[in-house]
Amino acid sequence: MSAPRRDDLLGELFRNPLDPGYAAAAARRGDSPPPKYGRWLTAVAMLAIGLLLAVAYHQVVAAAPSTTKARDDLVADVRSRQRTSDDLQRRAAELRAKVDQARDEALADGDSATRLRNLAAGTGTGKVTGDGVAVRLIDAPPQVDPVTGKTQEENLGLVLDRDLQDIANSLWQEGAEAVAVNGQRLTATSTIRAAGGVILVDFKPVTSPYEVTAIGPPDITDRFNGSSTAKRFKRYVEEYRMQFSVRKRTNLTLAGAAEPPLKYARTPSPTPSGGPTR
Amino acid sequence: MIAVIALVIGVAAGIFLEPTVPLGLQPYLPIAVVAALDAVFGGVRAKLDGIFDDKQFVVSFVSNVLVAALIVYLGDKLGVGGQLSTGVVVVLGVRIFGNVAAIRRHLFRA
Repeated sequence: MSAPRRDDLLGELFRNPLDPGYAAAAARRGDSPPPKYGRWLTAVAMLAIGLLLAVAYHQVVAAAPSTTKARDDLVADVRSRQRTSDDLQRRAAELRAKVDQARDEALADGDSATRLRNLAAGTGTGKVTGDGVAVRLIDAPPQVDPVTGKTQEENLGLVLDRDLQDIANSLWQEGAEAVAVNGQRLTATSTIRAAGGVILVDFKPVTSPYEVTAIGPPDITDRFNGSSTAKRFKRYVEEYRMQFSVRKRTNLTLAGAAEPPLKYARTPSPTPSGGPTR
Repeated sequence: MIAVIALVIGVAAGIFLEPTVPLGLQPYLPIAVVAALDAVFGGVRAKLDGIFDDKQFVVSFVSNVLVAALIVYLGDKLGVGGQLSTGVVVVLGVRIFGNVAAIRRHLFRA
């Protein structure tokens, strides 16, 4: 074994962890008793150390729950708001049904009532039933790295807003007369977009599993299966492990979408002449 | 003995008074704790070696904390605060390990 080198800093550190100051102080002191005030000095230092430890502990313990608590509060807040929104929507649907009923009664003419209902069903604000197709999409499970066991951050098999848009458009193209995403009826002004990793249908978040239901001609299932969109998603299933299934469904009921409130446009007051007003 | 009682009182005071650390000093708290632990274990080892010195202990504690904080502060200003605090922790950690090993040899003769 070679003699330790003098400039071996780390080796020195490992061999001799004690401050040489203690030995030097002991040698300097010799046999004389230590001064009395020293004990109190040490006591004060120990007090400070104890305080430091407690404060550091407190800091760590106090910091962790405050962040999780804030998150929990936010989650609870979101949940309660969602419940309120659902309640309001249910109430709106009830009221709409009542309005429809009252309107039907008010309209003595049966023909115009039927015409009105058909128009409402066509635009998406009226409830419709019929046979059709259900397209189900599920996010691919997160990829787990076989070596590290960590989940990979990038998951290519996630369903995007564009995917739902393509499926909805393809269903319209194949003759669908009413389309809904996770029960959210689509109208002419509906939007499917993403915000912060969540897909919003008419500003309401939808999550996996996604189900696009459509009422259309009897052969819509086959026609959709043969479309280029369906073929593309079947390839996604193989490549990205996204789950995709198309099923024929009978007796589908699609709820009506909320009527968009008119902000700027107004219905003109009926003029006797029927001509354009100014 | 007085030292141990003082430590307990300090911990109790810290827990019950719950002093808040100013935001600017918070990054230095972990480093200060490690530096303080180094001083404590050094002191305990010196005590067991029979060469404990009050003045040496207090000076080593204060200077340890100040130097460690200074290094981290400098590192923060230079943009290498994380690396320098790692360095401080490694050096002090090695010293703590060495001192604890010496204490262990004293107490258990192993």
